[in-house]
Amino acid sequence: MNRVLAVLVVRDGVLPLGADETIAEAGGAALLVGTGADKAATELPSLSAGWLADNGTFAPGRWARQLAAVLRDTERVLLPASADGRDLAPRLAAELRRPLLAGAIRVNETGAEVARWGGRVCVDLVADGPFVATLQPGVRGPAPAEAQTLTGISLPEADARDVTVVEVLDPEPGTVDLAEAPRIFGAGAGLGGPEAVELLGEVAAALGASLGATRVVTDAGWTGYQRQIGTTGVVVHPELYVAFGISGAAQHLGGLGSPGHVVSVNTDPSCPMTAMADLGIVADAPAVLAELARLLEVR
Amino acid sequence: MLVVAALRWSDQRATVDPLTGEVRTDPRTSGASAADRVALEHALRIAEAFDGRCLAVTVGPREADEVLREALAVGAHEVIRVEALAETITEDGSETARLLLDGLPDRPDVVVCGDHSADRGTGSTPAFLAQRLGACQALGLVELTVAGEELRGVRRLDGGRRERLVFGPPAVCSVEPADLGLRRASLPATIAARRAEIPVARPGSLRYLRAGGTRAYSPRPRALPVPREAAPHQRLLALTGALVERTPPQLVRPATPEEAARELLDYLRRHGYAE
Amino acid sequence: MTYAGPDSRSTVVGESTRTFDVVVVGAGPAGSAAALEVARVGHSVALVERGPFPGSKNVYGGVVYGRILDELVPRWWERMPVQRWVTRRSTMVMTPTQALTLDFRTQDWGKPPYNGATAHRADLDSWLAELAVEAGAVLIPSTVATGLLRDTSGAVVGVRTDRPDGDLTAGVVIACDGVNSFLAKEAGMYPVGGESAHLTLGVKQTLALPRQTIEERFGVTGRDGVDIEILGCTRGIPGGGFLYTNLDSVSIGVVLGLEGVRDGGTRPEELVADLKRHPAIAPLIKGGEQIEYSAHLIPEGGYHAMPELVGDGMLVAGDAAAMCLAAGIWLEGVNFALGAGMYAGRAAAAALAAGDVSRRGLSGYRKLLEDSFVLADHRRLRQLPGLVLSDRVQRNYPGFVCDLVQGLFQVDNPLPKPGLRKLLLRSAKDNGVRLRELARDAWTGMRGLR
Ligand SMILES: Cc1cc2nc3c(=O)[nH]c(=O)nc-3n(C[C@H](O)[C@H](O)[C@H](O)COP(=O)(O)OP(=O)(O)OC[C@H]3O[C@@H](n4cnc5c(N)ncnc54)[C@H](O)[C@@H]3O)c2cc1C
Ligand SMILES: Cc1cc2nc3c(=O)[nH]c(=O)nc-3n(C[C@H](O)[C@H](O)[C@H](O)COP(=O)(O)OP(=O)(O)OC[C@H]3O[C@@H](n4cnc5c(N)ncnc54)[C@H](O)[C@@H]3O)c2cc1C
Ligand SMILES: Nc1ncnc2c1ncn2[C@@H]1O[C@H](COP(=O)(O)O)[C@@H](O)[C@H]1O
Repeated sequence: MNRVLAVLVVRDGVLPLGADETIAEAGGAALLVGTGADKAATELPSLSAGWLADNGTFAPGRWARQLAAVLRDTERVLLPASADGRDLAPRLAAELRRPLLAGAIRVNETGAEVARWGGRVCVDLVADGPFVATLQPGVRGPAPAEAQTLTGISLPEADARDVTVVEVLDPEPGTVDLAEAPRIFGAGAGLGGPEAVELLGEVAAALGASLGATRVVTDAGWTGYQRQIGTTGVVVHPELYVAFGISGAAQHLGGLGSPGHVVSVNTDPSCPMTAMADLGIVADAPAVLAELARLLEVR
Repeated sequence: MLVVAALRWSDQRATVDPLTGEVRTDPRTSGASAADRVALEHALRIAEAFDGRCLAVTVGPREADEVLREALAVGAHEVIRVEALAETITEDGSETARLLLDGLPDRPDVVVCGDHSADRGTGSTPAFLAQRLGACQALGLVELTVAGEELRGVRRLDGGRRERLVFGPPAVCSVEPADLGLRRASLPATIAARRAEIPVARPGSLRYLRAGGTRAYSPRPRALPVPREAAPHQRLLALTGALVERTPPQLVRPATPEEAARELLDYLRRHGYAE
Repeated sequence: MTYAGPDSRSTVVGESTRTFDVVVVGAGPAGSAAALEVARVGHSVALVERGPFPGSKNVYGGVVYGRILDELVPRWWERMPVQRWVTRRSTMVMTPTQALTLDFRTQDWGKPPYNGATAHRADLDSWLAELAVEAGAVLIPSTVATGLLRDTSGAVVGVRTDRPDGDLTAGVVIACDGVNSFLAKEAGMYPVGGESAHLTLGVKQTLALPRQTIEERFGVTGRDGVDIEILGCTRGIPGGGFLYTNLDSVSIGVVLGLEGVRDGGTRPEELVADLKRHPAIAPLIKGGEQIEYSAHLIPEGGYHAMPELVGDGMLVAGDAAAMCLAAGIWLEGVNFALGAGMYAGRAAAAALAAGDVSRRGLSGYRKLLEDSFVLADHRRLRQLPGLVLSDRVQRNYPGFVCDLVQGLFQVDNPLPKPGLRKLLLRSAKDNGVRLRELARDAWTGMRGLR
């Protein structure tokens, strides 16, 4: 296998967040492991050389041992810093007795540039030899490959203690991971309180959108911290973003991707959020929201 | 049964100089993160359910005693601080895990951690702990309960899916700050904890990763795929999007909220987001 | 466990053992000074603070006059967390387009024993509380005192807090819980009603600026700093403005009579925005990025508005006892709080030693205050808040003096210069100033400072 390789955990053909980017960062080579890897391989434009290993359900302890056996000569192993990647990478690094450079923005030959302090600081870590790294989803974009070769492999058996997975639950409509929501209604401090934030959630749901929020809103406990969009929260890439009473601080916009359509409802016509909006509505956000709820017959 | 809560002492309100990337921390705003506080609550509950002991540990400097005092006040049976400098930028989770376990008096049956720390934020420490303990790991849990002899958890996956897990000791869990809050310490326990001696273990020192420069985060330029058009002129147009149709931004000042709501709905309809 | 909810107010308790000799509520300057004095002489003392650490809720920087610390901390100036020592103090009178500044500078204030210093409250309050803890006080943070405990005779014997099992019994309770003291009201020490007339609202922004920029713009070097107090920037609402230099930030804000704010319909933020835009101020703060915004009430009624200071088993100190001098160009509260806290601590310790914590046993507190600057200054200056906040000083005089000075220096050739008398009359007339009243106010002012 290659000297640089992305390792992707595939569950029933579903790829992790940041899969294609991690392959692009690894120069096009990847080992897809799990269930439905062949199906997943067709969804990876950046993949040029793929190895596919059917390996049953995800079990980080056992998998790390199995994978280590085939990755000894791979100098740089990259995983996306998504749920399963973050689970597996430390175990893999430990099995391979290598440093883990976790949360990378960029991976180079000798190490990686990693983000610390909630994505506010960058530091170049030097590995002095082979390493394992995890790459933050959403930092780089794809690098489409010209052609693709796929090779099936099987991993050696191994044993380790792991948890038992009872079932996998589909997303609840209300908690669909923001990171993947195509439409988001954002709640800002201008909404004034938890009731309005809750109503915004209902209005959003009526329009098939998810609820996001600024840190001011989540810190105040007006909605769950999981809803925080931004550099220290979730990084999102919606098509549509409708901001209610959001000033548009850099830390918030930093996690917003580049939505095709942005609407901002704000009393301040010159705040950055309104300045970057396709439609800026200068109005009282709670009042507009209440009207919207009435028009949509929410509640 | 020994249930360990691993608490990391770091500044929850650190500021970063946007030019130099210098991080300014303050011991007064330092302590356990929301996730670590929830981890402590789970550790207390698990210890209660299994009739075991709850031990709170932190790997950190002297000032980190504060988080252990808080743990004592809410009912941890013992606490221990593993002496180490706070060098959060270049520290490695595997080293934290090594030192933490070396500093413990006994081998833990269950370790509960936060899902990620405020400073390092990799969430890797619990996995390294599991590796060293030969334990199973259940990371990023949004629910954690005891059922009989077992632990049950719900773990968050990508895309809003979740998985339901069952596992037994030895285990390492990490939890998101969801669902629960840390219980409030009684006044007598608070006063006692303020006066308590905090035991310190000195099993060795942390090794750090070698690092180049530190700077403030700025987004990496996103790579655009090479345009496939044949002519250079066409490629240029494709890259710059010069001829793509675009609606100019619009700023409206509706007279009433109703008018504003209608403006918004019209916009959504025009772009196919609503009927 | 019993949960003492926030609803529980005064609770009558039977005979019980004391948890502490003294309980101090509020770890502001007053509370920490009180706890320090009590702990120093060997009594046990708890310092109960609502915030997660002392000063966490009091985040504004201001000017602190530290000399009272001479009595508490030897060579305090070497240890106190200071931003800059004030060596330049300006008093500015302004109208929307004019400004007249009286600017005073002395290097004497830049060396021991110093005069005023700018300091961040989080730093200052933490430092003071740490002194108390070093002396043996037990700091109990993140804990709110929700009510008083009394014995059957009505004497205060402790406080109830919002923690489970949260009763703290004590020989003496010292209420240092800041403006609008809940505990002092609870104890019936405040006269009922009419409170807002004696309250001002302080609104402050902290703007980050490079250290070197501050030094260039304000003409200071090293640790030297500037304190500017401003009259006439509040659109006629009784109050004043201020601008202080910290090490790498400046604090700017206004202090406003609460009733004026209510009646005026102007938002305090707008006044700060006005002030920041004023041609005399804008160049000083240009490019400053806001890093903090805070608003807080200040008791400014002075001597007349103070509550009873001593009760059975209870003392009141600092802002809780309205011991703040906030009258336009003065803004002193920390020094009074430190002084009062210190004397309260002393009086409590003396009462405990004498075995009498009744109102009589504690009455030494009032005497200590009377003999010191705390009450002496307030008594002497008791007419000043009224004067500085009067309509004439607020609405008419700034325009009057600015016009007068403008007239003096304006060269209207070919017209001849107007005589001073004519200028005086014209400026007075234009600004609705009666010279007779002016003379009387000047007299009151001078007498008030005598
Ligand atoms: C280190 C760090 C990391 C951070 N990370 C994040 C992050 O990940 N995500 C994040 O979101 N923030 C983050 N922040 C916070 C960020 O800097 C801003 O403070 C925050 O995004 C502002 O939230 P907001 O727009 O809701 O509030 P504000 O900035 O207070 O803005 C409120 C807006 O509402 C408008 N408004 C007020 N009243 C009304 C009304 N009645 N009707 C309509 N509009 C009204 C105002 O004009 C204003 O524009 C971070 C900050 C720091 C220091
Ligand atoms: C904008 C502004 C600017 C100012 N500038 C200056 C200045 O430049 N110079 C100056 O000398 N003064 C200034 N002052 C006044 C000064 O801040 C006060 O006079 C001083 O803080 C009084 O100290 P204190 O200890 O009495 O009260 P505080 O400092 O108010 O402390 C009270 C403490 O009690 C705690 N507390 C309250 N209730 C409870 C409870 N129920 N249970 C537990 N804890 C409780 C609070 O959290 C707080 O820590 C300014 C005030 C304002 C608002
Ligand atoms: N120095 C430490 N001391 C104790 N626990 C730690 C320490 N560092 C990390 N942890 C635990 O590991 C979790 C994840 O941290 P991290 O790997 O830094 O993101 C934290 O939430 C803590 O529970």
